[in-house]
Amino acid sequence: MRDSIRTLIQAFFLGEGPYTEMREGPRPALRGLAIVALVGVAVALVGLVGTTLEWATTPNMAEVKKTVLEGLQDMPWYQELRSSPEFREQFRQWYDRGWQIFPRLFGAPDIPTAAVRVVTLPLGLALVWFLYGLLAHIVARMLGGRGGLGQTLGCTALAVAPQLLNVFTFFPYLIVGGIVGTWTLLCRYVALKACHRLTWSRTLAATLLPYVAFALVLGVFGCLGVVVLGLISGGGSQ
Amino acid sequence: MSVNTNTSVRARTRELVQLAWETLLFRHEVYVGHVARADALKRGLMLLVAATLVAGMSSLAINLVSDLRPMSVEAQRQQAAQGVEEFLKSFRTMRDYYDLPPGLEEQIVAYMKAGMEMGFRIEELPTRLPKPVGRVLTDLGAFLSLPFSRMAGWAGYAIWVLLVAKLLGGRATVAQQLGTTALYAVPHVLDILGSVQCLGGIARLVATVWGIAIYVKAVAVANEFSIGRAIVATVVPVLVGGTLALMGSLAMVLFLALASA
Repeated sequence: MRDSIRTLIQAFFLGEGPYTEMREGPRPALRGLAIVALVGVAVALVGLVGTTLEWATTPNMAEVKKTVLEGLQDMPWYQELRSSPEFREQFRQWYDRGWQIFPRLFGAPDIPTAAVRVVTLPLGLALVWFLYGLLAHIVARMLGGRGGLGQTLGCTALAVAPQLLNVFTFFPYLIVGGIVGTWTLLCRYVALKACHRLTWSRTLAATLLPYVAFALVLGVFGCLGVVVLGLISGGGSQ
Repeated sequence: MSVNTNTSVRARTRELVQLAWETLLFRHEVYVGHVARADALKRGLMLLVAATLVAGMSSLAINLVSDLRPMSVEAQRQQAAQGVEEFLKSFRTMRDYYDLPPGLEEQIVAYMKAGMEMGFRIEELPTRLPKPVGRVLTDLGAFLSLPFSRMAGWAGYAIWVLLVAKLLGGRATVAQQLGTTALYAVPHVLDILGSVQCLGGIARLVATVWGIAIYVKAVAVANEFSIGRAIVATVVPVLVGGTLALMGSLAMVLFLALASA
């Protein structure tokens, strides 16, 4: 485990050494999977500590909900409309529904969700790693790459290293932000370069095309979702 | 063992401070030596993080003092009322230039007061740990987030600069490019003066210009090409981004004009 952490730290600093070692070593895909799972579990556990500390320094959300509701009801617009029982009922429904979504959107600490992430984060990271690795491998091979599928998966697994920055979220209210995504892209470029020995421009294409493919698939599914919703709501209103 | 570790940490810190100082003076051989090192990115990142934390210290101190200063609820309400008064002053100036509906001012004040009252009531709600602990953790969290935010901006931009540099024949690896351009953050220690009136603005401007000059020099050294090409590689991403944003805005204006016609 100590070796894996050392390799990940070296991979974070974008030298080709750790990626080449992974390429040449035995069972790279299996070792890669172990690394991705290890990082996922570690980051989720540390995040749980940070979330717990945030929870301990935040007022009870049920109390906040009640206070906000009373505040809204004191406002002039509510006073004007409160005479209608239908409005009061509808407002209450929308308020309860909104309260299920907005606190999470604004980062209210949620310990159960943080605890569930101990399972879902490694799974999610592993799924993304596998899909990205597979697509990147296909593109790299089409562009003349020389690495095998296992080697590609092993090398791209090391590109999970930037997730280690999330370890700092054991400190409550600390925001790591967009650097993880940007640095992951850089690590993937170095991983594919070390694995397939392509020129910089071909490596760049192999790095970016899976992102384009993901975006296209998401776009198509998004459009399909809108069409289906439109059909459902159109059918419902007739 | 621990004596050895301390000595090694002290030597490394001295080495980094030396690198920072010579970077500020644009010593060519220092840049070349830095690029050639295997740990260029590690050293660059350490300087970027250290400079950002030093720069953020004054804001942290101000926030901690203001958050831990015992302040009565009445004093907070008075401060909020002053804020409303200031808003009303600027609103009244605006009223002279725009045709605003009657009663709008009263409505805005009523909503502002209701919102502030809600905020005060939430502030008074109890927490599991003592309130000052939460305030200190919030301020420290914001302070420690600063390097991550700077890193995100720097790394995002460096990718585009590296792409243009490669197209211009640059030879830097990703680690070399990032390790050298990270040095641009060193002059930003001057941002520590940011909260000082008048001087703060000048200090920020000097840090920005100095930082850009270091960035250009770093791109030139890492890619082994001229300063002219380095300027092109540094500026082109801004120009392309700016042009795209301008075209997007124009398209939006055109679309809105056509839609309203």
